[in-house]
Amino acid sequence: MTDEPLQAEDVRKVYRGRIGPHVEALRGVSLSIRRGERLSLLGRNGAGKTTFLRIASTLLLPTSGRIHVFGFDVVDEPERVRPLIAVVPQEGKPFFHLTPREQVYCYLRARGIAREIARARTEEALEKMGLLEVADRLSVTLSGGQKQRAMVATVMATEAPLMFLDEPTIGLDPFARRAVWDVLRELTRKGSTVLLTTHYLDEAEALSERLYIVEEGRILFEGTAADAKRQIGGTLRVSIENGGPVRDLFRSFGQTVEEGTALSVITGPERIHEIMDIALRNRLSATVGPVTLEEAFLTIVGRSIDEE
Amino acid sequence: MAFRLHWAGSGVFLATEVRVQLHEWLAIVTGTLTPGALIVFVAILAPELLPVTLVGALVYSMFLIGQRVLNEAAYVRIDHKLNELYHASPLSPEGYFVGIAGGMLVAYLPPSLVLLGILQILHPLDAVAGLTLIVCLLAVWAVSSTIGYVVSTLFKDMKTIWPYSALLTNLFGVVPPVFYRLGSVPVEWRSAVLLLPTSAAAVLVDSAAGLEPLTRTEATTAAVALAAEALVLFAFGIYWARRTARER
Repeated sequence: MTDEPLQAEDVRKVYRGRIGPHVEALRGVSLSIRRGERLSLLGRNGAGKTTFLRIASTLLLPTSGRIHVFGFDVVDEPERVRPLIAVVPQEGKPFFHLTPREQVYCYLRARGIAREIARARTEEALEKMGLLEVADRLSVTLSGGQKQRAMVATVMATEAPLMFLDEPTIGLDPFARRAVWDVLRELTRKGSTVLLTTHYLDEAEALSERLYIVEEGRILFEGTAADAKRQIGGTLRVSIENGGPVRDLFRSFGQTVEEGTALSVITGPERIHEIMDIALRNRLSATVGPVTLEEAFLTIVGRSIDEE
Repeated sequence: MAFRLHWAGSGVFLATEVRVQLHEWLAIVTGTLTPGALIVFVAILAPELLPVTLVGALVYSMFLIGQRVLNEAAYVRIDHKLNELYHASPLSPEGYFVGIAGGMLVAYLPPSLVLLGILQILHPLDAVAGLTLIVCLLAVWAVSSTIGYVVSTLFKDMKTIWPYSALLTNLFGVVPPVFYRLGSVPVEWRSAVLLLPTSAAAVLVDSAAGLEPLTRTEATTAAVALAAEALVLFAFGIYWARRTARER
């Protein structure tokens, strides 16, 4: 066993359809995660995020390449990997005919966790996920968000050294999402490592120390959210109402993006005055704000689509 | 990878499944409706056949557990993705399979115990017949659970599974001589039906209970077929559980 939670080298996956065409889901993904790190995989639907997560969590065989979890090969030594990991599956639901308390406790016990510890961790996880009030109601009677929180609580309570969470906050309200973030932060403080996929870019930015952007089975970007923003040529976005028709006036200041009749200019702080002057002279309303990760994501992925 | 079996956690998972089923207690009760209705009809129309029908109902109920394994394993996998939660954990795939199969056995046992009680009143079984009954029912459980689990892994949609579930139950539980005597089957078909696990179990118990005599050849054929099917299929179930714990 090594100290490195996950090391993936040139992982490829081809889904061979019996009737339809083969689908190349992963085309040589290599990445590594450090102990105690929270790392996000970002990408469009079908980019390969879930495929990677499922291979890394021993649920799917790769076509080629290697993934080691704490030094154990996920293909050859799954029985050594499995005690070290826990997974929140995408669109997973708890047993409808168990209560959240039973769900979490029974799962911990099935993982071999002693009764007393399982009991304590169950209560702690339910409390942190805001489920104590409904802890003894059958899950079938819970709301979609409560069911999702029960799934997250089940996995978090394991305190497994490496956790995979496939869109763990989907369907959760902003308060519940932040509760999940807090618990994930606490888990990594305690030494667990977290790899998650998400479509919420604010979540990726708030939560992950590093992120990978995946597109069509390849990694397009690796780094921090700040690194991703730097990739698009500026840290500020000037939004100009009705600026679309006069886009040419602003092209020299940086990247320009038309959204309907509005125009966004990605630029640096040193050029803001010039842009505002032009906008005022043309009687256009303009506002300035920081570049978001979403814009960086759209630019990085969009650039890749254009190249294709 | 060495083929070593790991059972750690399977008892807890079995208990989890029992707990899940007990929360759906109505399903346990309604599961007895088909054999219960048959018993009522036979009690009215041909009361002398009631012990044979009760033995058949016990075998049928045990085979029905396979249908429940099929539905539960498919539901948990397709609708809830909970198989992923458990497969990516220290619980082994064989522990998962046996947990579901054993959970269904325990949860759905009470109706069978009621049937056994009625049989004991109408036609008391001696020790040999009782032992034969237990062994045969366990063999039917092993066969039906494996069939149920394996079939559950072959489909991606619950709706596609339902007809197969009903087909298997009727094919193994209603058509062969489970609820009726082997003597009613044409001679040329008898060897074939003795190879089916449900009818083999029923005729062996009927014979041990003195309800219908079997020739030595018939008894040997039924016993060997049932034992072989139970052992081979259950071993295959374990192999299949390990194979399908990870998609290809």
